[in-house]
Amino acid sequence: MAKEPKLHKQHKKLGNAIAYIVLVLISIIWLFPFVCIVLQSFRSYDTELGGMVDYLVPKHFSLDNYKWLFSGDSQFVRWYLNTLIIALCVAVLQTIIVLCVSYALSRTRFRMRRALMNTWLILGMFPGFLTMICLYFLLKQFHLTQEGAIPGLILIAVASCGMGYYVCKGFFDTIPKSLDEAARIDGASKMRIFLTMIIPLSKPIVIYTALTAFIAPWCDYIFASYVAFGYSDSYNVAVALYRWVNTSDYQGFLPDSVPGACWWQFLSRFCLWHCSGIM
Amino acid sequence: MKKKVLSALLATAMVATVVAGCGSNSGTDEPATTGEGESADVVEGEGTDTVATDEIPAVGDDTNVTIWVAEEVSDFTQAQVDAFKEANPEYEPYNVTIESVGEGDAAGNMITDVQSGADIYGFAQDQIARLVAAGALQQVSGDYATWIDEQNDAGAAGAAKVGGTTYAFPITSDNGYFLYYDKSVISDPSTMEQIIADCEAAGKNFYFDISNGWYQTAFFFGTGCELTYDTDDEGNFTGCNIDYASEKGVVALKEIAQIASSSSFQNGSSVDNASNFAAIVDGTWDSEAAKKALGDNYACAKLPTFEGSDGNTYQLSGFGGFKLLGIKPQEDLSKLMFCYDLAQYLTSADVQLARYQEKGWGPSNVTAQSDSAVQADEALSALAEQLAFAIPQGNYPDQYWSRAESLGDDVKSGNINTSTSDDDLMSALETFQTDCQSYAQ
Amino acid sequence: MDRKEEGLFKKAGTGIANFFKWIGTDIKEIGVTFAEGDWKTRVSYLIMGFGSIMRKSFARGIGFLVIEIAFIYYLVSFGWDYMKDIGTLGTIGEHKEEVLTKAGPMKVTVYGDNSFLILLYGLLTIIFIVFFIFVWRLNVRENRKEELLLKEGKKIPTTKEDLSSLLDANIDKTLLALPVLGIFVFTVLPIIFMICVAFTNYDYNHQAPAKLFTWVGFDNFSQLFSFGSNGFGGTFFKVLGWTLVWAFFATFLNYFIGMAVAILINKKGIKLKKLWRTILVMTIAIPQFVSLLYVSKMFANDGLINSYLMKWGWISSTIPFWTNPTLARITIIVINLWIGIPYMMLIATGLLMNIPADLYESARIDGANAFQMFFKITLPYMLFVTGPFLLTQFTGNLNNFNVIYLLSGGGPKSMKLSGSAGSTDLLVTWLYKMTVTDTNYRMAAVIGIMVFAVTAIVSLGVYNLLPSVKDEEGFQ
Repeated sequence: MAKEPKLHKQHKKLGNAIAYIVLVLISIIWLFPFVCIVLQSFRSYDTELGGMVDYLVPKHFSLDNYKWLFSGDSQFVRWYLNTLIIALCVAVLQTIIVLCVSYALSRTRFRMRRALMNTWLILGMFPGFLTMICLYFLLKQFHLTQEGAIPGLILIAVASCGMGYYVCKGFFDTIPKSLDEAARIDGASKMRIFLTMIIPLSKPIVIYTALTAFIAPWCDYIFASYVAFGYSDSYNVAVALYRWVNTSDYQGFLPDSVPGACWWQFLSRFCLWHCSGIM
Repeated sequence: MKKKVLSALLATAMVATVVAGCGSNSGTDEPATTGEGESADVVEGEGTDTVATDEIPAVGDDTNVTIWVAEEVSDFTQAQVDAFKEANPEYEPYNVTIESVGEGDAAGNMITDVQSGADIYGFAQDQIARLVAAGALQQVSGDYATWIDEQNDAGAAGAAKVGGTTYAFPITSDNGYFLYYDKSVISDPSTMEQIIADCEAAGKNFYFDISNGWYQTAFFFGTGCELTYDTDDEGNFTGCNIDYASEKGVVALKEIAQIASSSSFQNGSSVDNASNFAAIVDGTWDSEAAKKALGDNYACAKLPTFEGSDGNTYQLSGFGGFKLLGIKPQEDLSKLMFCYDLAQYLTSADVQLARYQEKGWGPSNVTAQSDSAVQADEALSALAEQLAFAIPQGNYPDQYWSRAESLGDDVKSGNINTSTSDDDLMSALETFQTDCQSYAQ
Repeated sequence: MDRKEEGLFKKAGTGIANFFKWIGTDIKEIGVTFAEGDWKTRVSYLIMGFGSIMRKSFARGIGFLVIEIAFIYYLVSFGWDYMKDIGTLGTIGEHKEEVLTKAGPMKVTVYGDNSFLILLYGLLTIIFIVFFIFVWRLNVRENRKEELLLKEGKKIPTTKEDLSSLLDANIDKTLLALPVLGIFVFTVLPIIFMICVAFTNYDYNHQAPAKLFTWVGFDNFSQLFSFGSNGFGGTFFKVLGWTLVWAFFATFLNYFIGMAVAILINKKGIKLKKLWRTILVMTIAIPQFVSLLYVSKMFANDGLINSYLMKWGWISSTIPFWTNPTLARITIIVINLWIGIPYMMLIATGLLMNIPADLYESARIDGANAFQMFFKITLPYMLFVTGPFLLTQFTGNLNNFNVIYLLSGGGPKSMKLSGSAGSTDLLVTWLYKMTVTDTNYRMAAVIGIMVFAVTAIVSLGVYNLLPSVKDEEGFQ
């Protein structure tokens, strides 16, 4: 009888050891490309060229790529600001719209409500790329391409964001209706309830919505490059990075600076996540 | 009911905005709306041949000119444009913007939306028919056309034409490929077998872009196959001359499979993207990068010969191509004339020579070509040697490049390999040939 | 299933019947309003809002009037020009005019009709007309209502009352007006437009503004399903097949392995839980187009992996990760784990903590071992709770553009596939190539409709089978 717990303990120790080995392996696999990218960013462009190489550790460490990135030669700073403007505007406007839509769908009942929700569900099933060319010409009609690509991209991102109300509405649904009713009895209008009661109660969902909206523009390279083509002042970071990594063989090729650019994105995201307590 | 009225009210304001937005744009600055009146203003009521020279002022209403050139020459082009404006004070009011748009992207973007495209743009010659068909190129006629024919080598002048009409200004004559190699590894760059054997022995890579329709033709043209398309003046493809599905085609395809089976073979054609290479088939635009990568062992040569499966020796052939500078159709005649003059200047002998000196682009202008520095250039002379075996590149439909990629990918994936029977090779080539023919109407 | 279908048809049938009934009563009501109405109401049939203004309900009246004026202005100044040609999509092609310049005679391009804009603005105009008819009907109804109110001796609400109701009883109108309009212009209109394009010959040979395109009926659809030399049939079904296979593996492998990793980290006795999670989540922080492009180059024939394996002498020839179709597919699914597991791990961690601990406790007392507990408690619970999530993951993977496009670009291509499709192309990446590379808009539109059909069928089909939909209280 006395032996069993000991055996159990040994068994457990072995299990933990295996678990640690697996975890370390997983960590190595997950960190490997990450480390590669970081190492590559310290490669000197002058002596080792810009392309893919078949070795991991740079032969000469240098900060050239970083210097180049923030020097006048690259428009990186401008592109970074472009993206930041887009991301901030989209985050604010999208949050407002999603909150409005979610509140209307969660707390009011009107005749076309079900029909509206079903239509949006169906619209969501069409692939986004389908309408790319049409959107381009629509935006162009309002002069929101090329020179105006930044407001154009904001408009496109904000215009259709009402369809992404699901998470937020789900959250509103969990706030007890009895709160509303009590406020109604006190004579508060629905707008008042929305602004002074519901929104303060939904801080987590506001942060969630704003964050997801903020992050999306940093990764948009397809539509952003389609709208801004031929006008490099309107590029965002993603378009610029994608072009560096993937330029055709007629052009120079500078992927070394890509990791440098990544760091900035990484840092901004990382900070945001920490602030919001997601991690 | 009042709810609906009010919602309607609310919507009005927004609808009005939309209407206003659309309305205000409809007639002002679009050369290509449906409005029948405005777009024909230029010659309305006057039939043809009526706008005389002195009626066109040097500067019209539209003074914004955009130029798209490859990133590496955008600063160079800016400097040249400034010089041009200084030399021609009457053009001072024009506001010229240079954007870095690669030749490949330029054609695609122009076709997606001609109106927002550049007024003057550089592109590779294989795109010319497609651009003409999409209405993205202004005809070049009169003195300018004569100037192009006189000043450029015959191949370049021919490349700027579609069905006999000139559509662009030649800018380089170096759009062909040859071999860069490492002197310390390759003992003899004149035969394919030796190159591969040396690479294998040294554990180095040999790069050849077999899944690219442009490089792939080196094999097929080398064994004597033919692939050209006929076009009419509008840039439409009217006919296809191809004989890939033949004994010669099978020999070429077998050689491609043979090369691809080597352990040192890598698919690619960009020095920047190549690692650990001892030989690469690439063009002059990569000469700087190749010099840097190979250092003292840098050397160039024409493409090698290979011994075909039928025992004969063939010289690799391929395309000799050109880069061109095109002008978008303009409504403002003053601006059009400015574009012509600027494009002519940017492709003139002096500027081409300067472009060679600064960027290494091989000139198409005969005067510039005869310059001693150009004559002595290692990469350019290797190219010139290779061009003797190459075929001047004509026009090819877009689908051809994609189909050629399929053929090359089939080799890379092993669907077609060294042990594939002649019958299977032939049937693959027959499919390829039928597809190519189907692209011409 | 039969019964369900029957139900569906019945529902659709009654829906259509109701619609016609509704139109019937509406027309009747319009007639009655005219017959019984006073002169103010009758004038309102032509001049919208007239009745309301005369009855001192200014806000509404002026609102109607402004809409009418704006609509007529739009139609006359802009909309009609485009709409009148929508049947043919334009008839005047581009032509060349000759002008004389200092350099001799020169041909200048003069554009004709622009089929693209005719279709786009024609559709917009039609939508506006429908909208206008709807507003006109409201106007008639409003008159009727006001008349009835006056007849009963009640007061018509004042402008102030109307406006304040927008913040209270009618708050849904206030909150939804802008989002609905945005979705209408930037989602609904483009989708209708692209559906229309599927019935035209708009492609590289018919590119506006230089060339016209026109309606061709179902030609594009028959090309998609034809198996001849120029048909897309064989390719379409191959791409569709791979799309489904990919979505299945990408969803379920990520799901189970991600859950396993979450369980592993949650295991009692494992220290530094936060560190392990952070390491995994770090991959999310790098934008996919950078990390995936890098990984893609890493696995290339001349990439890092192959050259190190060669250097160490583990392989004698390169492993064709991207050039062999089968291997490329497997590689993509495996690399997708790298992307997907961190997300799944995060979600699973949260959910696992929610499983009531007493369930495990009682199972342990009954003598169940770890595996039994997993299969009897954890898995059923997770499947139940994450059912809808799995479904959205699946449909998301059907349209997972980034992973495919950035890793393999859809390649390798093959002579056996037409329309520039490659062996790892999903329907969406194929759609993208058609739009951007090939400018074959008509086939892109057809494939877009097919993507919609596949997504809709999968979603609706699976949704009704989900345990959490069938039985909402199942796990309480």
